[in-house]
Amino acid sequence: MKWLRDILDKVAPTFKADGKLEKLYPIFEATDTILFSTDERTHSGPHIRDSVDIKRVMILVVIALIPCYIFGAMNVGYQMAMALGQSSTWWENLLSGALKILPIIAVAFASGAFWELLFAVIRRHPVSEGFLVTCALIPLVMPPTIPLWQVAVATTFGIVIGKEIFGGVGMNIFNPALVARAFLFFTYPGRISGDKVWVSGPDGYSGATALAVPAAELSQDAVTLLESVTQFDFSWINLFMGWIPGSIGETSTVWIMVGAVFLALTGIASWRVMVGAILGLTGMAALTNFMAEITGSTNTMLTLPAHYHLVMGGFAFGVVFMATEPVTGAHTDKGRWIYGIFIGGLTVIIRSINPAYPEGAMLAILLMNAFASLIDYFVIRGNIKRRMVRYAQ
Amino acid sequence: MNHIFIKKGHDIRIAGIPSKDVVSIPGSDTVAISPKTFRGVKPKRMVSEGDRVQIGSPLFFDKTKPEVKWASPANGTVQTIQFGARHVIEKIEIKIEGTDSISGQTFLMEQLESADHQTILNRILEANLFPLIRQRPFNKVANPKDSPRDIFISAVNTAPLSVDLESVLESEKMAFQAGVTALSKLTDGSVVVTSKKAMELQHAEVQTISGPHPAGNVGIQIHHSKSIKPGEIIWSVNAQHVITLGKLFLNGSYSPDILVTIAGPGATNPQTVFAKVGASIGSLIAKQEISEPTRLISGNVLTGQTVEVDNFLGFYDSSVSIVLDSVDRPFMGMLAVGNSESKYSLTNTFLTFGEKFFNFNTAQNGELRAMVPINAWEKVLPMDVHPNALYRAILAQDIEEMEQLGMWECDDEDFALCSFACPSKIDVGSVIRDGLDMLEAEG
Repeated sequence: MKWLRDILDKVAPTFKADGKLEKLYPIFEATDTILFSTDERTHSGPHIRDSVDIKRVMILVVIALIPCYIFGAMNVGYQMAMALGQSSTWWENLLSGALKILPIIAVAFASGAFWELLFAVIRRHPVSEGFLVTCALIPLVMPPTIPLWQVAVATTFGIVIGKEIFGGVGMNIFNPALVARAFLFFTYPGRISGDKVWVSGPDGYSGATALAVPAAELSQDAVTLLESVTQFDFSWINLFMGWIPGSIGETSTVWIMVGAVFLALTGIASWRVMVGAILGLTGMAALTNFMAEITGSTNTMLTLPAHYHLVMGGFAFGVVFMATEPVTGAHTDKGRWIYGIFIGGLTVIIRSINPAYPEGAMLAILLMNAFASLIDYFVIRGNIKRRMVRYAQ
Repeated sequence: MNHIFIKKGHDIRIAGIPSKDVVSIPGSDTVAISPKTFRGVKPKRMVSEGDRVQIGSPLFFDKTKPEVKWASPANGTVQTIQFGARHVIEKIEIKIEGTDSISGQTFLMEQLESADHQTILNRILEANLFPLIRQRPFNKVANPKDSPRDIFISAVNTAPLSVDLESVLESEKMAFQAGVTALSKLTDGSVVVTSKKAMELQHAEVQTISGPHPAGNVGIQIHHSKSIKPGEIIWSVNAQHVITLGKLFLNGSYSPDILVTIAGPGATNPQTVFAKVGASIGSLIAKQEISEPTRLISGNVLTGQTVEVDNFLGFYDSSVSIVLDSVDRPFMGMLAVGNSESKYSLTNTFLTFGEKFFNFNTAQNGELRAMVPINAWEKVLPMDVHPNALYRAILAQDIEEMEQLGMWECDDEDFALCSFACPSKIDVGSVIRDGLDMLEAEG
């Protein structure tokens, strides 16, 4: 790779101070340091440093998403073949699915990179690797039928309004990828909710997500209802495996779990948030099940047990890849528990009590993003209180 | 006896561990003291170029506390006095020409035990050795007019490549005890000695500590035994300097020799040597065959200062660390799987197994980024302090919030590991120092 290094070294002066393209230095710097690790040496503080950096952290999150991408492509292809009534092999599914989602990925990365680089140049800050993760997440939370221009608009909104106006990665309050999704959800609901968008099949083909099934019926038992669906296999094990209609990357709980274990082991994502969310979800689902029994409510969603909540909709994906985002989540360990528990609980509440939004996880995480600092505030007040007691002795 | 169990922290497995046997190396021709390195001190010189000084002669004093003077670590001629901006003395260099020292009153153990506060204080001041005593908060030279709540002595070094204190304290037991006894007269509280193993000591409260670095830092030890409150002052003395003080009382003169480690991945012959306070770096690394580009550090790799061959060992330092200074640029390095030869991380983001010692270089291993809190700081800070919140309070210059978050209990050296571990490459320690400066300026 010496030739590439030589080229970069040759063009470097053009971008450095007093060079012709000095203004574009952040773009050169990003390209240079992504291709070849930086040789920056320590100048203040400890003379030696840990090998990990933000580039590594961010790229590992992208790597953790790869199983979801591969499975997502296969599932999109599989659902497509099913809708057309064809039988297909797994690699045919992978191929046709990949053809469907590659343009979405390309558009997300292109528009994300455009805004990140533009802001880096105008605001004269280094290009932050965080946009890689945002751009990698956005396609996975879109339905396969999403129009490409909407992907571009959503990514723009997510990166600019969700992140850059706050000052970039590290300063943002809301998860930019979720902001992107929420933007589409409220501005173009027809293309990201309902029963027409989850399978890229023939025109007018409709297939509801599993969550929409109990939300649409009154006074039934959710599990029986799911099992009576013939269009798709909504048995628990299939919901867990993920061969169901839904957003591209969120259907397979099993592959999301692979990513979760990877992120927790590498120490990038907080396992406290994940475990907390599962606890919150289980507790709240137990409560709604109990309420359904004693109140005799006609709301079918209330009867959905916790282990179904866990594998349906975007909960697993949201908790593993979005709630655990270190910047927008709680920053203290105690806070992370509370933050996670509330996300789990709120997901069930939004799903069951307000079935107009069968997808509760996205809104639950965004809401808790807003409250994360408040949770930290109370945890830190607790620490201060302990200290003041000690000082008063 | 109190035992402190430290869980958080990390012993950096850096290669080039110094051998424990003490070797003698040819002494330094010159020694120097840099007055500008003492925080908050306004130095005024007491010698001129060409003056003859003995070991223990005063070289300069602090204009804000004129009774605090600095002793010459050598007998010889003042060779150069280097001035910096606004005529502040940067360095006083002495050419060594003999071994004569100023001698004063000697004490027997019993006399020390019955001595009073003023006698001990006066003796340390007149021997010009008071700067060996530092105070918390702010980690600066103590003020002899203060009456410290307690005096803390760390008898354990956990910093990377540091001197093995256990054997020194064993061989200098008498002097150490004398130093402790003398110091116990300077406080109404107690002298608290923290060590790895239980020690037999009079006039001191001995406590033990276990766990990784920064367990050996006196700040951590204070925090875990009886944390410092606003308005309180605690003094601390390096264990080797306690021996120096002990010898002053027993022998009547200043013995400026201490153990110094010469170590690190760039050292070809990592060793422990006897050297004078302020010895020249060149003389200390004479036995190292350094061919590659290296960075020389006076002090340890976490908190030390970069020095050149013709510079001198810092006043409080007892190691010279040598780290490789060439950094390469691997292609697509961020995707590397990594192994224990090429990567060293407290996270599990690389495939590094085992307890191999690592050849650190001066690579920052990344660029400065905004804080991404993945608990890297919290994992290496054994204090009941939220580093993240404190860091932000300092950036916001919110002094009240800083105080509430525990600023008084903090010192930058205790946060050095946070900077080491930070994936965003933030120098947390220097921000903590900024916070302390703000707090001190506020009064």
